[in-house]
Amino acid sequence: MTFELFNRTFFIATDVLFAYIVLIGTGLGVLYLVNRANKWSVIKDYVTTTHHRKIGVLYLLSATLFFLRAGIEALIIRMQLSVPENDFWVFQGDKFNEAFTTHGTIMIFFVAMPLLIGLMNVAVPLQIGAQDMAFPYMNAISFWLFLAGAILVNMSFFMTASPNAGWTAYAPLSTAEFTPEAGNDYYIFGLQVSGVGTILAAINMIVTIVRHRAPGMKMTRMPLFAWSTLVTAFLILIAFPVLTIALYILMFDRLFGTSFFSGESGSPIYWQHLFWIFGHPEVYIIIIPAFGIFSDVISTFSKKRVFGYTSMVVAIVIIGLLGFMVWVHHMFTVGLGPVVNTVFAITTMLIAVPTGIKIFNWLFTMRKGVIRLGTPMLFAAGFIPTFVIGGVTGVMLAVAAADFQFHDTYFVVAHFHYTMVGGTVLGAFAGIYYWFPKMFGFKLKDGLGKAHFWLFLIGFHITFFPQHFAGLNGMPRRVYTYTAEDNIFIFNFISTIGAFMMGIGTLFFVLNIYKSFKDPDKCGNDPWDGRTLEWSVPSPAPEHPFDPMPQVNTVDPLWEAKRNRGGKLPVANTSRSAPIDVTSWQPVSFYGVIMLFSLSFIYHVTWLQIVSGVMVLAFFALRTLTDEHTRLAKEGENHDNV
Amino acid sequence: MNKCKLLMASLVIFLTGCNLRVLDPKSETARDQSFLIQFSFALMMIVFAIVIILFVWFLSKYRENDQNKDYIPADEKGSPWLEITWTVIPFILLAILAVPTVSITFEQSAQTESTPTDAVLIEVTGQQFSWTFSYQNGVETVNDLRLPVDRPVEFTLRSDDIIHSFWIPKLGGKKDLIPGETRRMIVTPEETGTYQGKCAEFCGREHTKMRFTTTVMEESEYEQWLEDMKEKIE
Repeated sequence: MTFELFNRTFFIATDVLFAYIVLIGTGLGVLYLVNRANKWSVIKDYVTTTHHRKIGVLYLLSATLFFLRAGIEALIIRMQLSVPENDFWVFQGDKFNEAFTTHGTIMIFFVAMPLLIGLMNVAVPLQIGAQDMAFPYMNAISFWLFLAGAILVNMSFFMTASPNAGWTAYAPLSTAEFTPEAGNDYYIFGLQVSGVGTILAAINMIVTIVRHRAPGMKMTRMPLFAWSTLVTAFLILIAFPVLTIALYILMFDRLFGTSFFSGESGSPIYWQHLFWIFGHPEVYIIIIPAFGIFSDVISTFSKKRVFGYTSMVVAIVIIGLLGFMVWVHHMFTVGLGPVVNTVFAITTMLIAVPTGIKIFNWLFTMRKGVIRLGTPMLFAAGFIPTFVIGGVTGVMLAVAAADFQFHDTYFVVAHFHYTMVGGTVLGAFAGIYYWFPKMFGFKLKDGLGKAHFWLFLIGFHITFFPQHFAGLNGMPRRVYTYTAEDNIFIFNFISTIGAFMMGIGTLFFVLNIYKSFKDPDKCGNDPWDGRTLEWSVPSPAPEHPFDPMPQVNTVDPLWEAKRNRGGKLPVANTSRSAPIDVTSWQPVSFYGVIMLFSLSFIYHVTWLQIVSGVMVLAFFALRTLTDEHTRLAKEGENHDNV
Repeated sequence: MNKCKLLMASLVIFLTGCNLRVLDPKSETARDQSFLIQFSFALMMIVFAIVIILFVWFLSKYRENDQNKDYIPADEKGSPWLEITWTVIPFILLAILAVPTVSITFEQSAQTESTPTDAVLIEVTGQQFSWTFSYQNGVETVNDLRLPVDRPVEFTLRSDDIIHSFWIPKLGGKKDLIPGETRRMIVTPEETGTYQGKCAEFCGREHTKMRFTTTVMEESEYEQWLEDMKEKIE
């Protein structure tokens, strides 16, 4: 719509206008509520924290908000596709392309990643007997960098410059020649900034797990969620720098006139290789932690240790390794030749073997157990058949010649939603219901949780199952409409109904959080009859929770203590001192500076680039000069000196 | 139970999939691909069925009830024999799947394959957001591809701007058009008719509208059409 202001005519798309109204409205509403409840001190507490549990909560909270945003985009996409030749609101052409681009980008980078990293932050230190993450300050920096990237990608819509080249941003479409608007610069800087945060988080996880385990907690006694976190952290450490490089080169092509991905000496295929060398490990980065959550949940709720612990660990390591050898299966139709295509078809099929091992081990963990179908276990149980469908279609897609037909159709869309929603999202929900008591001291409501689960799972299958057939009937991905002769109306219509069912399920989740805070059921330290160390400490987990430090002699130490020692964990003679936990305004200030820095590049403001660049460097100096160690040593406090 | 019904229903749709374009091949290329899809589906259904049977069985048998709710299950670490079983059997299934995969993929990915002697040569150029087809006698059409039946056709694929992907579901899988490079694709349509063609690689604003129709005609009709078109441009 257009409107007159100061004798000039302005144009604003109605969807953006509507979003502004909703955002400002809810923003003011939240401010009012916070002020009325006098919760500013809580907000200050969380903004300046470096404590692992609180940072975990921040990750989960922001991931949930972005989940709602990208979920609304999914509903918009489904509305536009519900009937042939539809004209829903403004979502045709570029607007539709922007909707699926940000839907994909946000769901992968700003929902799946932070949901899992948030759960790692909450649970992993407690599972291995660490007092906190190894580098608490860096942990806060990781979060604020992630949030800066996420806000950049999210604000692009409000600046009417959403990225529009797909979440894969294939060159040359993503180069300045074809998409000169600021949209894909937002994509580049958003992912770049949050990617640095993710790499720092991975380093932090590795050091924490390698250096801060409780006495006796050998690697072979670690819970599987901690194991999967370790493997994931290594995958991040190898894969994310490749994305950094790819985005860096793309940035040079877009902003500084180089031609890595076009012209005589460049080639658009380089982007695909770089992107997928990152991109395929990325899908394992977001599925392996979910595997870890399911292992812990299924074992706890079946009252049995996980079946085949060693093969479970070996399987995730092999999945991680093979994950780096399969990227070309995203590029079978590029025409890289028969040898490349067949080799990558075989390596891709091989991944099914360790994944199958895990599925059968989970099934046999349940066998001969006593299975309690609490909400976390429901999500874990729903995961098994759902993920197997995704795995089965994955093997079908690995057959390279068949993939010539499947590639870039709705069959692929159905496949990866089966793995990512069926694996990662169900895993994250299981983890949130499971560890919620450790975060806040009370459970989420079971009844609402069950409603959430059934609506979400059934809605999911109704949405994505028909898409297999739409794909086989020739529906390409990323199209905003289709004709009646395409004969895919019925599949799309069913799919749209399912999407709204998932949406209602998600509302039940939000309602559940609200109700649980309004009327908390205090549930003690060990609501699920847990097996691992996190259930031996108070809920919510305090700072320095392990006092005295337990001595670990077995897998599932708490379970063993409950069976043989009346619930008392043996006490260790020695223990590592805790990392320094501080409160600091520095991380959140750094967030502001890095936002300014990115925006000055996105909008080509040279003086601001220089000023904010200097400010970024100044922060490194500031941090170098902040010395907590000397201060604590003077005060005579025992602290970790890594 | 609902799951089972859903599965059966989907199986029926799948087996009567003759209506689905990809499973209704009109050339040898597409027929091989359709075979691979159905073969891999059948193999995978074995795995899927086993998982579902175990899943339903264990979940119903070992679910908590009034009798067993205070029972502590025996500690069980694993079972090497079982674990070896579910490592080896998937390997065997994948080996069975790998044989046709490798042979058909090898054949269909070949770049060096020589042009068949009686082949029709057609140059395909993709641009935002349309297709141009150039025939040997100089005729050019936009979004309208005509082919003779039972003769091999060699498409030479080029792009004028960004990456597109050439796809006629009933005649065979897709191949990307890469700017600055040339790709080839050979198919032999075996039945006359009109088939949909599409751009499968996202290429910008009107990617959705980048479609073409493929008309496969009798040889004589095709020659006549070429003549008529030629006259029109002269």
